[in-house]
Amino acid sequence: MKFTYKKLALAMTAVAAVGLAGAAHAEYPEEDITYIIPFDPGGESDVTARFQEPVLEEELGVSVNVTHRPGGGGAVAWSEFQNSAEPDGYEIIGVNIPHIIGQPIQRSNAGYETDDWRIVTFFHSTPNALIVHNDSPYDTLEDLIEDARENPEAITLGGSGTYSANHLDMLRFEKEADIDLTYIPFSGTGPLKGALEGGHVGGIFNYTMLGTEMADSVKVLAVASEERVKALPEAPTFKEQGYDIVGGAYRGVAVPEGTPDEVVETLEAAFAEANRQIAEKQEPLGFVMESITGDEIDEVIGMLRDAYGPILEDAE
Amino acid sequence: MILRLNTDIAAGTVGLVFAAVLWLPREEMGRLSIIFPRAILVLLCLIAVALIVKGVIRPSGRQVEITGSPRRLFTVIAGFFLWWGLVEVLGFLVTTLVAFFSLTWYLARVETRVTWQRLLKWTPVILGLVIVFYLTFKEVLNVRLPTGLLF
Amino acid sequence: MDMLLEALASLLTFESVLTVLVGVSAGLFIGSMPGLTATMALAVLLPFTFSMEALQGLMALGGVYMGSIYGGAFTAILINTPGTPSSIATTFDGYPMARQGRAYEAIAAATIASVAGGIIGVIFLLVLAPPLARWAVAFGPSEMFWVAMLGLTLVASLSSDSLLKGLLGGCIGIMLSTIGVSPVGGETRFIFDYPPLQGGIELIVALIGLFVIPELLTMAAEGRGALPGQTELRKKEVSIISIARHIFIKPVNLIRSCLIGQIIAIIPGAGGNVTSLVAYNEARRFSSDPKSFGKGNVDGVVASESSNNVMVAGSMVPLLTLGIPGAPPDAIILGVLLMHGLRPGLDLFTESGVLTNGFILSMGMAALLLLPVGLLGGRLIHRVVIRTPYYFLVPSIAMVTILGTFALRNSLLDVGIMLILGTAGYFLRLIGIQPAPIVLGLILGGIAEEGYVQTLMAAVVDPIPWLRLLHNPLSMVLAGMVVLGAATTLVPMWLARKGLLDRVDEDDGRSP
Repeated sequence: MKFTYKKLALAMTAVAAVGLAGAAHAEYPEEDITYIIPFDPGGESDVTARFQEPVLEEELGVSVNVTHRPGGGGAVAWSEFQNSAEPDGYEIIGVNIPHIIGQPIQRSNAGYETDDWRIVTFFHSTPNALIVHNDSPYDTLEDLIEDARENPEAITLGGSGTYSANHLDMLRFEKEADIDLTYIPFSGTGPLKGALEGGHVGGIFNYTMLGTEMADSVKVLAVASEERVKALPEAPTFKEQGYDIVGGAYRGVAVPEGTPDEVVETLEAAFAEANRQIAEKQEPLGFVMESITGDEIDEVIGMLRDAYGPILEDAE
Repeated sequence: MILRLNTDIAAGTVGLVFAAVLWLPREEMGRLSIIFPRAILVLLCLIAVALIVKGVIRPSGRQVEITGSPRRLFTVIAGFFLWWGLVEVLGFLVTTLVAFFSLTWYLARVETRVTWQRLLKWTPVILGLVIVFYLTFKEVLNVRLPTGLLF
Repeated sequence: MDMLLEALASLLTFESVLTVLVGVSAGLFIGSMPGLTATMALAVLLPFTFSMEALQGLMALGGVYMGSIYGGAFTAILINTPGTPSSIATTFDGYPMARQGRAYEAIAAATIASVAGGIIGVIFLLVLAPPLARWAVAFGPSEMFWVAMLGLTLVASLSSDSLLKGLLGGCIGIMLSTIGVSPVGGETRFIFDYPPLQGGIELIVALIGLFVIPELLTMAAEGRGALPGQTELRKKEVSIISIARHIFIKPVNLIRSCLIGQIIAIIPGAGGNVTSLVAYNEARRFSSDPKSFGKGNVDGVVASESSNNVMVAGSMVPLLTLGIPGAPPDAIILGVLLMHGLRPGLDLFTESGVLTNGFILSMGMAALLLLPVGLLGGRLIHRVVIRTPYYFLVPSIAMVTILGTFALRNSLLDVGIMLILGTAGYFLRLIGIQPAPIVLGLILGGIAEEGYVQTLMAAVVDPIPWLRLLHNPLSMVLAGMVVLGAATTLVPMWLARKGLLDRVDEDDGRSP
């Protein structure tokens, strides 16, 4: 009952907002903006938001408050946002692919839908990378694949989370290379580093950042991006080696459905400027700056949904 | 107030009820997700049954004591939940002011009658305390406290 | 050595001391609020450090971290509420001391123990970081499973009157930890088709509920404050020097607790939440008078508080050498390091050694500053708590509790969970199920599950998968310690029941 009431209210405010858009939002923004991060403080999403905050404030001329609403791998904040946020642009939320694609498919009731909001932009991505320790017998991707052919399931690869970007792309890699590996989910990048250093896993399927952070002690066998990543010029891509795997996590920001176009454009411009200013700090860490906006967003989501959807449904 | 209660049997029953609540509506879950909770649930049931058996054979405590007034206990419990429930409707600031005043008034009555003068004397203290904490959390710690009809 | 001196020089400026002092005070304030954790204290402070130089920013954060871990002791002692999870064990003896009118003695002991622990942790970090780092990564999934099991053997000693009830509490805690998204598998569990429950039951929410609410309810029902008033207090005032003498003349307890703190702090994932519990348990095990623990033995406070402050610098070992955060607050420090272009690793101790050593030394300074800040602040808070009539105290604590719980995840549902668990906790305590085992289960359940399932997953090719749990010497040693730990607690209990030993039973009401 409460749910439908809220939906109704939302629809009504949406109608009202669209109707008034021309007049009321002529000078957006006028008040402080709340920027919700659906994860714990200290993670990549949080650190990025902290980088962006001062630039956004300067661009928009109001203060931007970063708050956290962690829980359920982001799902708690996202379902709350879709159910109750006002479409006026004063409440924005960080969104991540593939989380917003995977959770609604995989969970019986994640509480939100992949498309029930308006994504302003994806501002950066962190491609997946296959990383092994320096002591590992594998020097190239082929070494690992050969060993996997001889000993199916014996090679363990750690990654962050189940049906996460790491896991899904590892499953794609298994299919492409026609091998069987064993994926072991860890709760975040911290424990993963320990597992790799301590030799508890054969390798890890994680993001490029880990490759740069641990540059002294690891070998990056392959990166799941279109082109080589700036921070890891030595590391070849999967594509170069004949496996069509491009994927990783995309981070972006969304507003509720029905938010006026001008508001979205203003935010889009502010985030683009933030990206320009923080690129020199983030690129060396292994982030790939993106500016995915408008129709491209649907394309990216569509592409990844096609790539991951069958794998997820298989798992059901 | 002293109640006659075999605490071993009571604890065992609590364990069984808790296990039942989690056991009955088990959602469809993969092997990896259920393997651990199921093991613990079984363990929980075993311990609970052991407690009940022990309670029958060799009970330890046969009575429990609620110190103080049970009526005040339940009123304050209800008060806390009301406080929580109203935050969403009236907003944090208003609800907390109301709840703070009522609780102080209710608890102070235990000692002596509360006169209007005393209530008036408390007003600045309570107002100050609530507003200081409200502002600290809202402005310094950047917490988005629930707002209601007014604030 | 030159680097160390250079770093020391850069610390001894007015500006640096002031930075650390402000950091410690801010941390102290936040840490002493139930619900506001060290992680949150650091997150709030983070934006302020952006405008600072790398070293100054890190110094401020180090101070906040040290202050907030210590601040948890105040509420633990005065209102039986661990302000941060790392001070759970402080409540066991600190609060009984406060009820006997010895609150200031407990606070002073906690302060001195924290200062000593903090400094010892810094020395460990300076001298032993690289070799200790190897030890940190030795803990893989199977080892973590045994670490969690080892922690769970504490249930036996935490449940003073009935082992079965303690175990029941532990199981309830573990089950509570499984609500939400499963760590391995990623599916939702036990959420009753209610999406907001995907967030699960946050440890701190349960902690506040189970410890604070029963205390508030008791105060309200009895219609009086829990601590004795001022007149009674005067007679029992003990001088700080005599407390210091008590701690340092027989330093075995302090040294043991610090070592335990250091060893556990390095194991990533277990972190500060358990250090104090383990140290407390060992202090009791080796004490000549174990029965006095839980009834206001100052050694219990010393064990808990010294070990958890060792953890502050101790958990930096895996962080600075390998980039692995040993405890949740470290994740934020890692973010700051990366933001300033500092990559964890040996470079941090050579190339940017001045900065790293400066940061480490500043934590030592923060520990030293706890002494004046803590003793003054402690006296102040103590006075306030004692002078405030209970009818103000109950609503004030309730308000701070609600605020803190809400602020943790900006969640009103968490406040509800806190109240429900708290009310349940009051009645469970009546029938002999204490909050400590429940919280222990909640802390360790997730760690045990992850380790167990990860180990079994890695063993898909093995003929007998569960043998993986014992696949290397370290995991066998840990498993042995679990058996030994359980035996040393259970055997005396069993002997006592048979009448072969003096009764170690602490429940006076049991034998008629």
